[in-house]
Amino acid sequence: MTKIETCQALSGVTKEGVIDLLYRMADDELMIGHRNSEWTGHAPILEEDIAFSSMAQDEIGHAQAYFQMLHELGEADADTLAFGRKPREYRCAALVSLQKDDWAFTIVRQFLYDASEQVRLTALANCNFKPLAQLATKLRSEEKYHMMHGRVWMLRLGKSTDESHALMQAALDKAYPYALGLFEPTEHCQPLSQAGICPPEDDLKSQWESAVAPVLADAGLTIPESCKPVYGGRVGKHPPELTQLLDGLQLVYNIDPAAKW
Amino acid sequence: MTDTQGDVYEVFHQQSRGDPHIYVGSVHAPDPEMALLMAKEQYARRQACVNLWVVPASAILATEYADEDIFDRATDKSYRESWGYKTPKTVRATEDGESTNDED
Repeated sequence: MTKIETCQALSGVTKEGVIDLLYRMADDELMIGHRNSEWTGHAPILEEDIAFSSMAQDEIGHAQAYFQMLHELGEADADTLAFGRKPREYRCAALVSLQKDDWAFTIVRQFLYDASEQVRLTALANCNFKPLAQLATKLRSEEKYHMMHGRVWMLRLGKSTDESHALMQAALDKAYPYALGLFEPTEHCQPLSQAGICPPEDDLKSQWESAVAPVLADAGLTIPESCKPVYGGRVGKHPPELTQLLDGLQLVYNIDPAAKW
Repeated sequence: MTDTQGDVYEVFHQQSRGDPHIYVGSVHAPDPEMALLMAKEQYARRQACVNLWVVPASAILATEYADEDIFDRATDKSYRESWGYKTPKTVRATEDGESTNDED
């Protein structure tokens, strides 16, 4: 299969597919980065406050990189894409817009999310669309640390006290169906996989399951049985939490979209 | 007030391979693995880094400040100071001030 070397070389259903994929990834990153930034000043210990805030910045940085690529593909500029859309125009999975809740939920969500990102970026690093392959390769190094961070917290909290274990299991029960929703297929997935750009979502989901299962087992946590994935986010159907998040995120932009500081 | 944030680990940072690990500060953590994770974000997010060490502060044996006088020189020992030696020009050209001729 021929490699697509530049953004300009993309066309037709492949281009539409890449745009859809970039929106999904960018919006996931923007929302989880924003949710995680809500811990700044509130994390359990000072060191973690700094580490988690720094990781939130990483995610927003990834979103920015995807938005820039979208701009090169003819979409609006990064600020307009981040702040200037209506809720139904975002393509994030519901997992990332949920309230930050307690620390157990935050850690579980971040771990499940980071594992999905790692699986996807690993696939994209070898994809046929060169600019995206290069970007994925670059972003993977930050995700590697995120995975180390997530694993350590999962094991500590899963196996610490009865209370921490119960909180973690409850968090996993709540987050897991939403995490499965990260792999909601869209109409663009088939052209993307045919063009050798992104494997089918089901394949990514299987890889993700293989990645998270051993850590969850080591943490003494049980994957909830037969849960139904929460879909809708990839086609713009979001829980009310997204509107609440965007009200805060877009507040300044909506007052004055051209403001500079 | 008791410290509820875990043990203290001292952090050593290496800027590039072959450089010495330099002491940069400390972190609180419940165990060494977590200490390394915390150290990475506290001390390696702004500057280049290839390697970090963390050491439990409790593992360090230190002198007492009350014994600071053991470091005093009761008699003239300027002969131990490197600037007491004449360094050949060729050596001086390749070294940055501090000489390595400190055999004492």
